[in-house]
Amino acid sequence: MEFRDNKAIYLQIAEYVCEHILLEKWQADQKIPSVREMAVTLEVNPNTVMRTYELLQNKNIINNKRGIGFFVAEEAVANVKSYRKAQFMEDELPIVFRNIYLLNIDFEELQTRYNTFVKENF
Amino acid sequence: MIKIDNLNFSYSKHRVLFKDISMQLSSGHIYGLLGKNGAGKSTLLKNLAGLVYAQSGKIEVLGLDPAKRQPALLQQICFIPEEFHLPAIKIDSYVKANAAFYPEFDHQYFADLLKEFDIPVGQKLIDMSYGQKKKVIISFGLATNAKLVIMDEPTNGLDIPSKAQFRKIMASALTEDKCIIISTHQVRDLDNLIDTVIMLDENKIALKATVEEITDKLSFKRLKEIDETVIYAEPSLAGYNAVMPNYHQEDSKLDMELLFNAVLAEKNKLKPIFN
Amino acid sequence: MNNTFDLHRFTLLLKRQWLEFGKIFLITLLVATGVVAAFYALTLLPLQELGYISDQLRFREPLFIIFGFLFISIIASSYFAHLGQKSKAIIDLLIPASTFEKFLAGFFFTSILSVLAFLLIFTITDWAFITYIKSYFRTGDLKELAEVKTFFSKNEIGTFAPVYVMPFTVTSVFLLGSAYFNRFHYIKTAICVMLFSGAWTYIVMNVVDVLLSGKTSINLGNNGKDTMEWLLFSIIALCTLVVLSITYVRLKEKEV
Repeated sequence: MEFRDNKAIYLQIAEYVCEHILLEKWQADQKIPSVREMAVTLEVNPNTVMRTYELLQNKNIINNKRGIGFFVAEEAVANVKSYRKAQFMEDELPIVFRNIYLLNIDFEELQTRYNTFVKENF
Repeated sequence: MIKIDNLNFSYSKHRVLFKDISMQLSSGHIYGLLGKNGAGKSTLLKNLAGLVYAQSGKIEVLGLDPAKRQPALLQQICFIPEEFHLPAIKIDSYVKANAAFYPEFDHQYFADLLKEFDIPVGQKLIDMSYGQKKKVIISFGLATNAKLVIMDEPTNGLDIPSKAQFRKIMASALTEDKCIIISTHQVRDLDNLIDTVIMLDENKIALKATVEEITDKLSFKRLKEIDETVIYAEPSLAGYNAVMPNYHQEDSKLDMELLFNAVLAEKNKLKPIFN
Repeated sequence: MNNTFDLHRFTLLLKRQWLEFGKIFLITLLVATGVVAAFYALTLLPLQELGYISDQLRFREPLFIIFGFLFISIIASSYFAHLGQKSKAIIDLLIPASTFEKFLAGFFFTSILSVLAFLLIFTITDWAFITYIKSYFRTGDLKELAEVKTFFSKNEIGTFAPVYVMPFTVTSVFLLGSAYFNRFHYIKTAICVMLFSGAWTYIVMNVVDVLLSGKTSINLGNNGKDTMEWLLFSIIALCTLVVLSITYVRLKEKEV
């Protein structure tokens, strides 16, 4: 995994985990890599991964079964979506809005473009 | 784990390195020791290992004074110097001669580390390149299971794949009871591995803070233009890489090199933020 | 845990030190054996041309003393020599053994092992040549002269007491030199020894001159007690101990 420059590492790791859950590589009630395994794979400090896992626990995306490890929560997919949505609204949307405003882009044009994009990709 | 109280150290009257340094380090962390050339990174590490003696002040490592060089403490110290010399013998003879001094030496772990680093076990140490020797002594040091791991510029001399292996190995080496201190000027090699930054400058500890604390208080951004809120900025292709106070609770990625330069250039602006 | 001395740890340390120091030791020993044997061969061979044997064998004492001195001093001055190089010193200083154990290992290799090793190679070489000569001439006359045993014990212990402590003085001085200097240990130690003994001789001569001028000795007899010899022995032994303690302190204070 390549880290990007602008976002805190622990959030990028959270995205990485969410991505795996959304793509159903890791399914509900499945065990996910331990803090140490994840730290080794990503070459980061285990404390950073711990911070990620704590965040994801708070968002009910994963849960910690003491002594066994971390598991994907039952409602994980829904929670990931709402978490990602909140993140998108907070972080990325303002930038998009700014560009829309600066470049005078019409909402209708956006609508048609969005529809074609969905049709082509999904 | 480590307690330093009012440490004063100088090599001579004209070369004072530390003036009344105090700090505490605890286990379960990887500390990154940064500083300009000659700021005293290696000397601080040597003080912790009892290889040099301070003029005044107190150092305690695991409750013991490192300057006494007691076996009970030496067993718990893994020190990887920047320059070292290994005898002209085979790896297994080296291990045979040295491992027994460390009651918690883990032979299986040592073999695993060598394998991870792609070092053939039967090879003679003298036939190895500097980088390979470094990997052997890092593997040996970690296999001693010492509680205090001190590494002086560990990535020097390692090639690109070895640096990745090194990061993986260090990520898995950190346990609750270990304290790892790494000095480096190649921060890009290690910035995701370090969870606490210690910066030496002008005989003092200019900064000691966890990555979390730093990104809580500061935000690292790419800006098109700089204004007066910016503490420090460097021009880049897309504008400026800037450090500014974190007004909006943003979670930015710590740019260690930028922070380093910011601390050197704007000490006075940064000090109130961290106190 | 005993942080000063632990027998198990000490044996581990001896084994570890031997791994590196052993090579220097064995090579030096081999060279010494070669030189001693060569001396015997050059002086005594071919046997047909040998004249009066007791004259020919006179070289043994100076050879023993000079080469013995050279051998043990070279060994001793190389033991801690690597501590002058940072890259080697760091690893050695951090080996989990006490400074006392590290010092004791140095004493063992330089003062005990090297002295014993030299005695051994000298005895063996001497024995081999004498046996050869004896078998060649087949005469009984040589017996007394040629016996190695005679060579080592022809003097009374008391009379030569100071001589027996000298090897340890030499090794301790050169061991200190190896721990004290960072480079050119042998030369520097040798120069220091020369300067020091020169100054010492000068002082003693002058003191004796001042104290004894105009006085006459009234008792020159030995009366069988070797008092002076034992006094000298004690002084040299004491000096040796002092030098050894300085070495220990120096080792303790070594910084890299």
